[in-house]
Amino acid sequence: MGVTLKQSETGILLCLEGAVGVGCAAEFKGMLAQAFGSDREVRISVEGATDLDVTAVQLLWAAERKAKNAEVGFSYVDAPPEALLASLSEAGLQHLIFPVNVL
Amino acid sequence: MASKADQFKQAFREEGHEVLVDLESALLELNDNRADQELVGRVFRALHTLKGSGAMFGFEDMATFTHNLETAFDEVRNGRLEISSELIDLTLSALDQIRAMLEEGLEGAPVADPEACAEILAKVRHLTGKPEKKFEKKVVAEKPAPVAAEPVPDALAETGSNSSDSSAPAREWSIRFAPGPEFMQNGANPLLLIHELKGLGGLAVRSSIAAVPPFEELDPERCYIRWEMVLSTTAGRDAIRDVFIFVEDSCELQIEPITEPPSVSAPSVTAPPQGAATTMSAAEVTARALEEKRENRGGRRTYDAPDNASSLRVPAAKLDQFVDLVGELVTVQARLSEIAAKHDDIEITSVSEEIERLTSSLRENSMNIRMMPIRSTFEKFRRLVHDLARDLGKSVELTIEGADTELDKTVIDQLSDPLMHLIRNSMDHGIESPEARAARGKPATAVIHLAARHSGASVLILVSDDGGGIDAAAVRARAIERGLTTENAQLTEQEIFSFIFQPGFSTAKQVTDVSGRGVGMDVVRQRVDSLRGSIDVSSAPGQGTTVTLRLPLTLAIIDGLLVRIGESFFVLPLANTQECVELTQADVEAANGKHLAHVRGELIPYIRLREYFNIRSPRPPIEQIMIVETEAGRYGFVVDQVLGDCQTVIKNLGRFYRHVQVVSGATILGNGTVALILDPERLAQDAVRAVAHGARGRPAATIAAAVKQSLREGNVVQQRAI
Repeated sequence: MGVTLKQSETGILLCLEGAVGVGCAAEFKGMLAQAFGSDREVRISVEGATDLDVTAVQLLWAAERKAKNAEVGFSYVDAPPEALLASLSEAGLQHLIFPVNVL
Repeated sequence: MASKADQFKQAFREEGHEVLVDLESALLELNDNRADQELVGRVFRALHTLKGSGAMFGFEDMATFTHNLETAFDEVRNGRLEISSELIDLTLSALDQIRAMLEEGLEGAPVADPEACAEILAKVRHLTGKPEKKFEKKVVAEKPAPVAAEPVPDALAETGSNSSDSSAPAREWSIRFAPGPEFMQNGANPLLLIHELKGLGGLAVRSSIAAVPPFEELDPERCYIRWEMVLSTTAGRDAIRDVFIFVEDSCELQIEPITEPPSVSAPSVTAPPQGAATTMSAAEVTARALEEKRENRGGRRTYDAPDNASSLRVPAAKLDQFVDLVGELVTVQARLSEIAAKHDDIEITSVSEEIERLTSSLRENSMNIRMMPIRSTFEKFRRLVHDLARDLGKSVELTIEGADTELDKTVIDQLSDPLMHLIRNSMDHGIESPEARAARGKPATAVIHLAARHSGASVLILVSDDGGGIDAAAVRARAIERGLTTENAQLTEQEIFSFIFQPGFSTAKQVTDVSGRGVGMDVVRQRVDSLRGSIDVSSAPGQGTTVTLRLPLTLAIIDGLLVRIGESFFVLPLANTQECVELTQADVEAANGKHLAHVRGELIPYIRLREYFNIRSPRPPIEQIMIVETEAGRYGFVVDQVLGDCQTVIKNLGRFYRHVQVVSGATILGNGTVALILDPERLAQDAVRAVAHGARGRPAATIAAAVKQSLREGNVVQQRAI
């Protein structure tokens, strides 16, 4: 469980699966950096994620900021599982990475 | 290499064992002081830590199991359940299971018994009258949390609001929580803590991303997000702090009351229901209160500054390796000093002296790192005494003195077994039955006293009891029966007591589960011998017994005096050595051939090491007597020349020579020569015994040659496991 990177002609897709936490945070950042390096749109799939810890949330938030500054496309391709949203919401983190229009 | 998760687990295991030691100690103290609320709090917090941290690190079974025990002690805290022997015993049994759960997955580790766990929980539930509680580390809601939510069922809702007093009025608390740099790497998870906080009442949460750096600068394994929360709860500050108990040292935490508890007549308009999720707008409202509080804070720790941890945990193996290397450095430094002495070069001498100074300082520092207080070793015997007292139907109190006395970790590690045997022996044979004590006019509760204190370069560990004492006549009779002595032998009381440490020696009429097989005391002697220690027994009939273990502070390096006899070199521990006087031919003649020296009016017996070790070389006209303090008094050891003091790295003699008790080890001198390290205590005992028996008690003449031959061959010297 963790993050996998898939490349397509239109962009890079990072799929978050299972629990994504501090154990794979360095790898996750590396993949995000790799995705930004391609100068293509960065898309994130969170459908398969069951748990994001605070390190994953920070990375996604910072990545989105970076994408905005670099004018690179950054989007979530699917909706996160409801349980995941609930757990992030409980810690006041949900709005950082999943704005209302994603829900 | 172990994965991060494994490293976290291992770190938690180590912490967990420390928590268990404290928990066990608190439980046993609580057993004696049942009204002590501080002890109840200590037990509760320890259980709470094991539960919360266990869940974080993947010990789910342990978290669930402990959660139920925690609930029981929460009931005690809130005055709804009384401390009873049954609750204490159940919790102690539970600790054994938790200990096994902690070791889960490790090779050869004990396994928790599910049936025993279920039985313990059933009995705890019977005591509390509460149903079984499942501990879930995270809430999983069916729907996304709404912006203005209805109360969401909390994972702990089933338990009521754990740790809170529902009868107390609710009040609001401002909680500021900022994880430190190492927080995540230590395996902690802020989300779980926030979830647990929610179990205490209504919680409004606001996260702050102000400290999150740009993507490029972001350390992916560090938590930059901070939280400001308002908790409305009936729980007190301690209960809130308990949530953070395991992470308190690695985060910035402020808990401050915002509102005073409302009076009974005041309308409660601000407190959301227990366990309710609150709206963000509520958070905004209370944020004003937080702002006000923020202005008044101060003295808070900041984690933007470099990490300033005051202590760190290092695996013992790394420490051993470090001390090993320091030991080797000491040997090399001695060689350098010797080379410098041979070359009349001021620069080499200057460098050599500087290295000597630094090595000495490094040696002292490395030794200090290994020093640990004996507290945890002592404390764990509370459980043994408690359990044995129950099994033997005796009432026994364990008192502890000098628990902060420090000694080398290796010595501490090896002390548990001998202390256990001594205590078991005291409990079984020393301490009388309650009836016998009453008949002798003694208090019904017996006392076993464990004490530690420094004595020069040694540490004394005393195990005393106020039991019936040792029957010297019975020991003597048994010793005669076993052929260890004769009817006519004139033995001191100390010599008679020493028989109890002989293998298989027992005067017990009955062999019990506890002792009586004559094995335990033999183990005590063997272990103390291997630590280069000694044992002293004093006992008074009807009043009790004290066994004193004299142990060296460290096993690794000692300060010694290097002496020479002919071409042989020996080291005498400096700590035992008092002075050095000359022995001339005239002195020998004046003593009429007796080995006695007059030192400032005192007659001191001496041992000629030349004769003792059968060293065949011409005797110098003036010899030196090293006066050494032993338990049996002052003794002199006659040598040819005293070469000076030296730091000595002790190397073990191989197992073939471990019976050679007068030699406690060997060392390699700067020029590569091997010197034997003498044990003055045993040397004196051996010499006295030899005189008393009219012959040498040991094959002393051959020891040195044999050992030295082996040392030369290099096949029996081992670096002492330090």
